[in-house]
Amino acid sequence: MMKLDRGLLLNFDWTLFILVMGINLIGLLNIYSACLSISAPGQTPYYIKQIQWIIIGFAGMNIAFFIDYRFLVRHAYIIHGIAILLLFIVLIAGSASRGSQRWIALGSFTFQPSELVKLTIILALSKYFDAHQLSRGYRFKELLIPFLITIIPVLLILKQPDLGTGVILLIIFSAIVLFVGMDYKSALITAAGCLIMIPVGWHFLKGYQKERIFTFFSPENDPLGSGYHIIQSMIAVGSGGFWGKGYLKGTQTQLRFLPEQQTDFVFSVFAEEWGFIGGIVLLLLFFCLIVWGLKIMLHSKDYSGALLSFGITMLILWEVFINIGMVLGILPVVGIPLPFLSYGGSSLLVLMTTSGILMSVSVRRFLLQT
Amino acid sequence: MLKLGNRLDVYEPGQLKPKFGALLIMVSVVLTILALRLWYLQVISGDDFRQRSENNSLRLRKIKPLRGLIMDRNRKMLTENRPSFNILFIPDRTRDIKKAIEKIKWFYSLNSLEFTSNLPIPDKLKPFVPVIIERNTTMTKIAVVEVHSLELPGVVTEITPVRQYLYGEATAQIIGFTGEVTRRDIEQNHVGRLSPGDNIGKFGLEKSLDAYLRGESGAEQVEINAAGKIVRSLGRTPPKSGENVVLNIDLELQKTAWEAVGNRRGAVVVLNPQNGEVLTLISSPSFDPNIFNGELSSNEWEKLSQDPQHPMENRAVAGQYPPGSTYKPIVAAAALETGAITPDKSINCNGTFEFGDRIFHDWKKEGHGNISLHRAIVESCDVYFYNLGKMLGVDTIAEYARGFGLGAPTGIDLPREKSGLVPTRQWKKDRFGAPWHAGETIPLAIGQGYNLVTPLQLANAYAALANGGTLYRPRIVKQIESTDGRILKSFPPKIAGLLPVRSPNIAIINKALWGVVNEKGGTGYLLKRAQQDVAGKTGTAQVVGLPQNAKERSMKVMTAETNDHALFVCFAPSENPEIVIAVILENAGHGGSTAAPVARKLVDVYFSQKNNLQARKPPQGAPAAHEAQKQ
Repeated sequence: MMKLDRGLLLNFDWTLFILVMGINLIGLLNIYSACLSISAPGQTPYYIKQIQWIIIGFAGMNIAFFIDYRFLVRHAYIIHGIAILLLFIVLIAGSASRGSQRWIALGSFTFQPSELVKLTIILALSKYFDAHQLSRGYRFKELLIPFLITIIPVLLILKQPDLGTGVILLIIFSAIVLFVGMDYKSALITAAGCLIMIPVGWHFLKGYQKERIFTFFSPENDPLGSGYHIIQSMIAVGSGGFWGKGYLKGTQTQLRFLPEQQTDFVFSVFAEEWGFIGGIVLLLLFFCLIVWGLKIMLHSKDYSGALLSFGITMLILWEVFINIGMVLGILPVVGIPLPFLSYGGSSLLVLMTTSGILMSVSVRRFLLQT
Repeated sequence: MLKLGNRLDVYEPGQLKPKFGALLIMVSVVLTILALRLWYLQVISGDDFRQRSENNSLRLRKIKPLRGLIMDRNRKMLTENRPSFNILFIPDRTRDIKKAIEKIKWFYSLNSLEFTSNLPIPDKLKPFVPVIIERNTTMTKIAVVEVHSLELPGVVTEITPVRQYLYGEATAQIIGFTGEVTRRDIEQNHVGRLSPGDNIGKFGLEKSLDAYLRGESGAEQVEINAAGKIVRSLGRTPPKSGENVVLNIDLELQKTAWEAVGNRRGAVVVLNPQNGEVLTLISSPSFDPNIFNGELSSNEWEKLSQDPQHPMENRAVAGQYPPGSTYKPIVAAAALETGAITPDKSINCNGTFEFGDRIFHDWKKEGHGNISLHRAIVESCDVYFYNLGKMLGVDTIAEYARGFGLGAPTGIDLPREKSGLVPTRQWKKDRFGAPWHAGETIPLAIGQGYNLVTPLQLANAYAALANGGTLYRPRIVKQIESTDGRILKSFPPKIAGLLPVRSPNIAIINKALWGVVNEKGGTGYLLKRAQQDVAGKTGTAQVVGLPQNAKERSMKVMTAETNDHALFVCFAPSENPEIVIAVILENAGHGGSTAAPVARKLVDVYFSQKNNLQARKPPQGAPAAHEAQKQ
């Protein structure tokens, strides 16, 4: 036991740790700026709350780091089951905000179980594919259980409704299935099926979700509604120029043109104040984080560790892409947070915990016997 | 669990190398797409966007809604929304409001105008939250500011609707007034969204019906240039006007009552006894609700709220007075109903009534002689009712008083209604911890002692007598209408209870009330008119414990505070009455000589109005409704 603990410290992945904490720090500075003009007197400022969540997230990261990730994978189904149960509770007794029911209140803090599912789904899928390794591609009947693991929480989350998280879960599922390999014929049929499903899925979208997609193609048609976000966000980012307007000096931000500027549209605040230079630095940091995660996957001593690292990396990659793509006006507006930068405790806690798992995989490649 | 054949542990560390390579390419491509887009937005189009953000900014401008109108039963407007001009400062690029005001003063002085506003200037400006520099200002000043708009960055002018109360003091206590929201209003608000600068109802019906009247703000997306001036409009969500309120109030009667009361203190209530509609409700002295439109200094507010005459108090629903002799019909009803007396039972009145070691006097020193119930009401004989009080006891009187709706709020749709007081043995024990003395019941029977009623309660109790026994809940609001005239909500008559008196007994009392006005020797004989047939009751309520002896009393100097309250309650016509009127004038002396003339004027106006209407017979409904929509 002593030997293991010393090993954990000796082989600690400082690069990963510094990357995560660095991006967190940028996020914190940015939230301070984003909320400078909107904080109401008497209310705890957002950046203070964010600091509280970073501390909680730090604890989550440590716990995840010290626990052997194989232990988590072994109990992945139970953990995932609990997360799904929480989703049920949210639907029945959760608190609603702005038309959707996503939160469970724990005293003054609220928690969003749909964020937790992002992690548990990676755990559950890793367990399944680790236990059922094949030398050939997977066929439909072998993918039935992974599909169920995914679709149950996705449907519950779409019911809230929260399109963004549902989309992210489906992307994680697809990424992992493509990663483990799919049978040729099954893949072709799936592709054809998806094409057919598009019009059907459209039918099930809510009015405002369709509207957002329409607006994406022509934001000028709806300057007061959802087009407003896109126009304002693009003006904010674009007006930042090459060098940016300077920290706390973004006019779009400080004059409160952007609704939701501390959550989903937080990147526009950053890009306005730090400019192209800042944006590139942030993208490079994310690039390093993601590549580092893939490196951990490559060197993992066992398959479950590799699958976990892959899933976590993909979660970060696609959240970054969809969120920033939306802010930059190349993707429709769906509610997906920018990892470590968007204000939101649940997202941050889950992301820091997943980083802890990544560190756990990273450090244990030196400790595990194969 | 699905069986997948044997578990194959095919994983070898390092086997993912080819996939790692492919993933590296994918990550690079995905993030490069974002980087390229960022390059396009910030470097290639950066100058365009910077221009848009600096010179032409998009703003969401709030458009205030028009507040719903309030009109009387004949759709005569009681309120109006008039345009008012404000000069504002919007902290944007320039935050120096003091400098802006200095400049405005300079430009004013060039045009020999004076900067008169003394609005407080906040020390901390919130970005883009407008601060009003001058409220309700003149066209000339607006013109000066507009001409120099380029030299006054951040200073803008606006036209906003301002509430006007067309009949000011006469309707102030009913309608109330509006005002700008306070921070507390915003925090406690539960109807719709409020933001600083919004107006909400603060008093009277404006407050209680605010949810209907307020309407919804609209918004306009505008492009604003560097000086903060609107360049063009990009899109607009129109505001939604508030809904209109139609009252049961009859403006003509309301004005008549207000003028008739003049500068005396008191209250007038006119009800339709057949359904509880409030036709008139006056409380004097009153206040001018229009002063709340401008900036009310804390001094003025203090003066108004601390005024010893309580102009902000609605005496008609919150003023509590001893009912005096107007209470006698209720005591008579109790006596008849309990069988304590029969209608033809006579009692001898020699001007005094002895109870224990106390002597109670009649208002008529020499007494009324041998007198029946009918004449006792007509002449308002005190001794007769002292006897009834002795026979009935305090709790029986209280039971009947409550049956007439006294001692509890009537439930009128106005805030701050008081419940008056119907004393009982239990009440006295709870209140003073002392037992009831039988002697205290004696003055009670003539409406003195602990008895307290509001003018509205009194009117409502008489309305129940007038209509044969049904107690209605008084209603001031008739209906709520949308701006296009559809009825959204109407308030139909509501029966609050039935009098605990059988109709033959009600008829006996009503006949006596007719006699008060129409028989020789009746205390309200002054009111007698050939054309209308009025029934009523006078009352004179002692304010403080003055000597009972009329001779001693006359020697006392009657000051403004100690003089009796004058009361008069009547209904007309005596058969199938259409109106009930209650008048209370504080410290005005005798009910028959001071309060009754006010009622007489109201009766005259009501019936002449009715006759005119019948003579002309105009088509009702549609045309009037259209008139009302115009705002």
